[in-house]
Amino acid sequence: MADKQLNVISFCGSLRKGSFNRMVMNALPGLAPAGMSIKEAPPFTELPLYNFDIQNSTGFPAPVNTLADAIRAADGVIFVTPEYNFSLPGGLKNAIDWVSRLPNQPFAGKPIALQSASPGPLGGGRVQYDLRRMMVFLDALTLNKPEIFIGNCASKLDDKTGELKDETTRNFIKQQLEAFARFIERHGGKG
Amino acid sequence: MAHDGNLDVLVVCGSLRKRSYNAALARMLPKLAPPAMKLRTAPPFDQIPHYNHDIQDSTGFPPEVTTFAEAIRSADGVIIVSPEYNWSIPGALKNAIDWVSRMKDQPFKDKPVALQSCAGGVLGGARMQYHLRQSLISVDAILFGRPEILVTFSAKKFDEKTLELTDQPTIDIVTQQLAAFEKFMRRVNGQ
Repeated sequence: MADKQLNVISFCGSLRKGSFNRMVMNALPGLAPAGMSIKEAPPFTELPLYNFDIQNSTGFPAPVNTLADAIRAADGVIFVTPEYNFSLPGGLKNAIDWVSRLPNQPFAGKPIALQSASPGPLGGGRVQYDLRRMMVFLDALTLNKPEIFIGNCASKLDDKTGELKDETTRNFIKQQLEAFARFIERHGGKG
Repeated sequence: MAHDGNLDVLVVCGSLRKRSYNAALARMLPKLAPPAMKLRTAPPFDQIPHYNHDIQDSTGFPPEVTTFAEAIRSADGVIIVSPEYNWSIPGALKNAIDWVSRMKDQPFKDKPVALQSCAGGVLGGARMQYHLRQSLISVDAILFGRPEILVTFSAKKFDEKTLELTDQPTIDIVTQQLAAFEKFMRRVNGQ
């Protein structure tokens, strides 16, 4: 299948500067197959905490529409997220809650890939299954395999340069992104 | 902590909107609680910033977080009444849990917690409750089991104008749960 240009956006579930998940996310463009560009989604930090009364009075805050438009325009979305309390960070969940309320909800039919990094051994083993379930409700299309759970991530990342140095992890991610490209080409498609 | 044989219970509502069924149920609880159970409403969590370790590390825990944590800590037990957003926990509530989970003397540890949810449809918030149980295990709470309170088809069970809970079977099961939660708290708190 010929490589066509795929425009993918990525979300980092952690907000801190030194985030391991952010380091992984930053490594993605360099690991992507030819023709796949991966850019970070617009930020979700400016979103107020979801309250229907806001939606119903002053309408959807501007950052919600910006975020939704970016998702709609993308060929696919990659979530790179830590696990907070065995599940999704509240900030990222809040962003999903907001965009899910839009008419023409942007995740419907959208190809999704998941990655998580953690200093502990499971590498985010619980959060991804929770996120999969949320994506089912939103009628997204989540890539099944390969799964990317980066455990003991501190040893795999260079904390000075932020580089993902572990070769095995880099190869798994390359495989996943290649599979994601094929997945988008086969099952994605605007309409 | 109550010293007079009464139990001091904190009620946390996961919805922020005024006409929330979950808030309406939370307001009903004092009428349905056994005499020794004194209920109070949790401080607000809707102005808490999105969890970011850099904030925690620089300016420390925001005041709304410490107030919220202290309210939990000082209670004999907590009842969380929450809607389900995208098959899971509302981001705002999850964000509050994420913040307090990071404190030394983490307030949910060994805390008895009971769950309730109201929803428009047939599952009554079940998916949210099972995710919330998962996150509460992470913070080492002591989870009350049954009866579960999953209020289905809420529009039919609350008065349209006043939002008072009018459905008798729901009133009965909530009354049962609160009585059972009182016994549970006394047992697990070592009384």
